Amino acid sequence: MRLDLNTHMLEQLNLHFISAASGRLLGGLLVTLELSAIVMVVSTFAGFAVAILVMSPFRLLRLPVRAYIEVFRCTPALVQIVWFFYCVPVLFNVFWEPFTMAVMALSLNLTAYNAEAYRAAIQSIPKLHSDASVALGLNRWHFNRYVVFPQALRLALPVLVTNTIGMIQQSALVALVAVEDLMYVTKSIASSTYRPVEIYTVAALIYFAIAFTLSRVVALIERRNRQLMERA
Amino acid sequence: MTSEFVSIHGLHKSYGDKVQVLSGIDRAFSRTDRIVVIGPSGGGKSTLLRCVMGLEQIDAGQICLEGEAYVRVANRRTVIDRAVQRRIGMVFQHYTLFPHLTVRKNLVLAPVKAHGFAPSKANSDAERLLARFGLTDKLDVYPAQLSGGQKQRVAIARALMLEPKLMLFDEVTSALDPELVSEVESMIAELADGGMPMMIVTHDMTFARNIATQVLFCAGGVIAEAGSPEQIFSDPQQPRTRDFLRKMRSDEGFRT
Repeated sequence: MRLDLNTHMLEQLNLHFISAASGRLLGGLLVTLELSAIVMVVSTFAGFAVAILVMSPFRLLRLPVRAYIEVFRCTPALVQIVWFFYCVPVLFNVFWEPFTMAVMALSLNLTAYNAEAYRAAIQSIPKLHSDASVALGLNRWHFNRYVVFPQALRLALPVLVTNTIGMIQQSALVALVAVEDLMYVTKSIASSTYRPVEIYTVAALIYFAIAFTLSRVVALIERRNRQLMERA
Repeated sequence: MTSEFVSIHGLHKSYGDKVQVLSGIDRAFSRTDRIVVIGPSGGGKSTLLRCVMGLEQIDAGQICLEGEAYVRVANRRTVIDRAVQRRIGMVFQHYTLFPHLTVRKNLVLAPVKAHGFAPSKANSDAERLLARFGLTDKLDVYPAQLSGGQKQRVAIARALMLEPKLMLFDEVTSALDPELVSEVESMIAELADGGMPMMIVTHDMTFARNIATQVLFCAGGVIAEAGSPEQIFSDPQQPRTRDFLRKMRSDEGFRT
């Protein structure tokens, strides 16, 4: 079987309409960026807090948090998003804007993954740091804030970035619950202009650009950190 | 009768039911004392020091500083008086400095964030301390760029920032290359000359003999023998002490 490129269609690739639709695309992109940025920032800090909680010696604290992590890591993001949108308003008698609900659902998801990354990082911090902190009169809060968190963040950074990139990709799923992000706008343009090839390709490239830029920026930060903190 | 500065009463500690780490320690020291604890691995000497710092749960007994009982047992739980604990500083064998902070930030972190020092006072204290010990050019450097000996000296300076009444040194030179040991021991000796009361756990018998006012030989969770350095090193009474010292001497002879 030979692979026949649809050369007829390729000749008719019309990129003009993409620039015409660029306004809408930009709008969708901004929504995606805003959504991703908020979720990323929230989950970077919340992930650490959850990791501390799940390592608590108190069962009453540890077990519910453990359950939360397992639920959000063992169910598909799409199911979480859809469940959030359709079930939470009904079950808890609340109504928030779609964008807000998207932020909440994605944050709960990313925080759960980040918590596991932080947990591994925290456990690799030498116990003597805890003893030294006691000897210096630092209480538990100071110890976590000034000694554990900065180190855990640096140690967990590669995994946190991977998780965040995953979240950016999964954010496209919110298009299915009518949040007007990049994916939603792309779908809408594709169906109204009957030109899926160009528009979906552009969307894919945009998602790639976002995630790739993020991973390069973090790689630079990591390299600078290594130079400072490793044996000269 | 010497006035009691630090006193330990009936200290017992075990891990679970089986392992007795400290079986009844009773000891008192004066303000002018420098206590060196020596002994075999697992004999309880580091645990003893850690108990004095208030880092360990104990089963029975109490520890007092300047007459105040700051480590004691109540309702089967160890109670530590943090206010008294703050008067004690401790330096450990490794992983001493926080690697993500410069030397300066390592030194000022606790004073500024936890003890309410003004940043300007903390910074000038840090500069003064490092200048005193010849480490001024290391102020804005990260720990990774320091040698082992420099790290330990900075760690001692960090503990001194809080103006402790008592300093504890837990085998601070044991993990160092031999040529770096003396710079750290000199710094401790200088502190001693300045009148700082201290408790030291060390494997360096020469250093122990030179700096101690009292030597405790700790083995099997008890203080098997105690006395002045002359007594312990020249004329040990107990067979266990003799065996230990003989072994240490042959090791040191081999190394030099």
